[in-house]
Amino acid sequence: MGAVRVPSPRGAFRVWQRNVTIFRKYWKSIMFPNFIEPLLYLAALGLGLGAFIQQGGINGQSYIQYIAPGLLASNAMFAASFESTFNTFVKFEINKIYDAIITTPINVEDVVAGEYLWAGTRAALYGTAFLVVLTILGFASGEPLITSLWAVLIPPMLLVIGVMFSVMGTLFTSLIRRIDFYAYYFTLVVTPLFLFSGIFFPVEEFPAPVPQIAWFTPLYHAVNVCRELATGPSSAVLVDVAWILAFTLALALVPVQIMRRRMIG
Amino acid sequence: MIGTNSRTSTLVAHDLKKSYDGFEAVKGVDFEVHRGECFGFLGPNGAGKTTTMKMIYGAVMPTGGELEVAGLDVRRSEREIKRRIGVVPQENNLDDDLKVKENLLVYGRYYDLPRKLALQRAEELLEFVELTEKAEAQVDQLSGGMKRRLLIARALINDPEIVVLDEPTTGLDPQARHLVWDRLRALTVEGKTLVLTTHYMEEAARLCDRLVIMEGGLIIAQGSPAALIEEHVSPQVLEFRAGPEDLESLRPVVEAVSDSVERTGEALLAFTADADALMERVRASGVEVENTVYRQAGLEDVFLRLTGRRLIE
Repeated sequence: MGAVRVPSPRGAFRVWQRNVTIFRKYWKSIMFPNFIEPLLYLAALGLGLGAFIQQGGINGQSYIQYIAPGLLASNAMFAASFESTFNTFVKFEINKIYDAIITTPINVEDVVAGEYLWAGTRAALYGTAFLVVLTILGFASGEPLITSLWAVLIPPMLLVIGVMFSVMGTLFTSLIRRIDFYAYYFTLVVTPLFLFSGIFFPVEEFPAPVPQIAWFTPLYHAVNVCRELATGPSSAVLVDVAWILAFTLALALVPVQIMRRRMIG
Repeated sequence: MIGTNSRTSTLVAHDLKKSYDGFEAVKGVDFEVHRGECFGFLGPNGAGKTTTMKMIYGAVMPTGGELEVAGLDVRRSEREIKRRIGVVPQENNLDDDLKVKENLLVYGRYYDLPRKLALQRAEELLEFVELTEKAEAQVDQLSGGMKRRLLIARALINDPEIVVLDEPTTGLDPQARHLVWDRLRALTVEGKTLVLTTHYMEEAARLCDRLVIMEGGLIIAQGSPAALIEEHVSPQVLEFRAGPEDLESLRPVVEAVSDSVERTGEALLAFTADADALMERVRASGVEVENTVYRQAGLEDVFLRLTGRRLIE
């Protein structure tokens, strides 16, 4: 009983597969909002606010060029966060889907891992579609938003970034009993990350300790990775990737144990 | 009586216990379920039936004692046990995002069934529970009885040795209940082992080869329905209905010639082996009885005798 529970890949795959089956039925009707939201930010801030940003922009890029790759990262964060909070809560506490699954050879730990993978997949799917749109928009407007072939690595990275935010969201889900509590998570975790992770302005130029604090937060590294891959990476990107992997691996088994204890009396 | 032949037993509990933060839900129970029989758990709410069921299918881990399912220890072999049993839960937990047949197919994947086999079984099982016409319907369009039948079909997708059913007919109308009973009997004919909990004595009497009665986390009686009736109550029951005062004056008369007497709100229940003799005495006493009902003693009488007539909450 006291042993640390490790998911089985087979079980996790079956849970992931269930979500894929359902997603394939409904994707046309559910993908639209996730897709349109970053475009709204891009229009309002990139074009609207960007018009007032002085010539020269940020780090030699126009404002819209600066924020576009960061929105890829935040889009993945939002997709994975909704999946691992509201969607998971409904499957778990309201529809009792997991209760049904764990009477089969699939254990609680596999369910949690399968949901991580699914949230990552969803983040990657939305992100890839958004990436395609950014690329086309950029070239059509004569102001390229994606300028490096390294951008083909963005979708797999969005999968990893999605898994990371799913682990965080699932951790919160494993601790709460009421769906209303997600307001805390989104207001105190997701929104501050969105605003202060270097999507809209370089946090490095803030006085200490702001850049130092940012370094310890996940979206900051996700934004760096997306921006570097979109414009041509330096070796510094490896630090961001390593940070994301280390953080995800360090935290991944924690919600697994909590959910296990919560579901198996 | 419960035997101890491990070759014919597929479920064995010994001093099985479960406590939650100091509350003892199951206080040490022993039972053995033989292969191919229908075994029932009866008891009032809170008796520990559902907890016992959940220990069988791995949703609750015992805090003491032993429990073997299909020859495997529940603490060590949870995946293997779950592969070999089917579970019909008390609460509906069908996948609402999937259609009726899809529920079975997706569930089949959890057992790694090959697609073709899953499809074939899904069709056979929908036939078995009479839901073939609803195969492409959304789950939320099904009635309560249909959902329960789909849960039964789902529990059979892996062709389990043992099917665990927690209150399989609670909340169903009589037609739906009879259909479920009929299907469950068909399963026992196929040789499957059924383990079920129920509040309905009629259900237990019709379906179960043997059963245990639980109360307060303990097994207080066990045996076949007929043996339990024979052991705990006399075979015939006379129910006398009258005003409270008449019942009081009737009581000593009845007590003198009955094996036992119980008083409910508006009736006196007399258990006897010789109803005619009792009737004779009551008539001779001259007490005015509004209404007399004669019936055979049943499992419900045993249950109420053992667990008491007060409301247990």
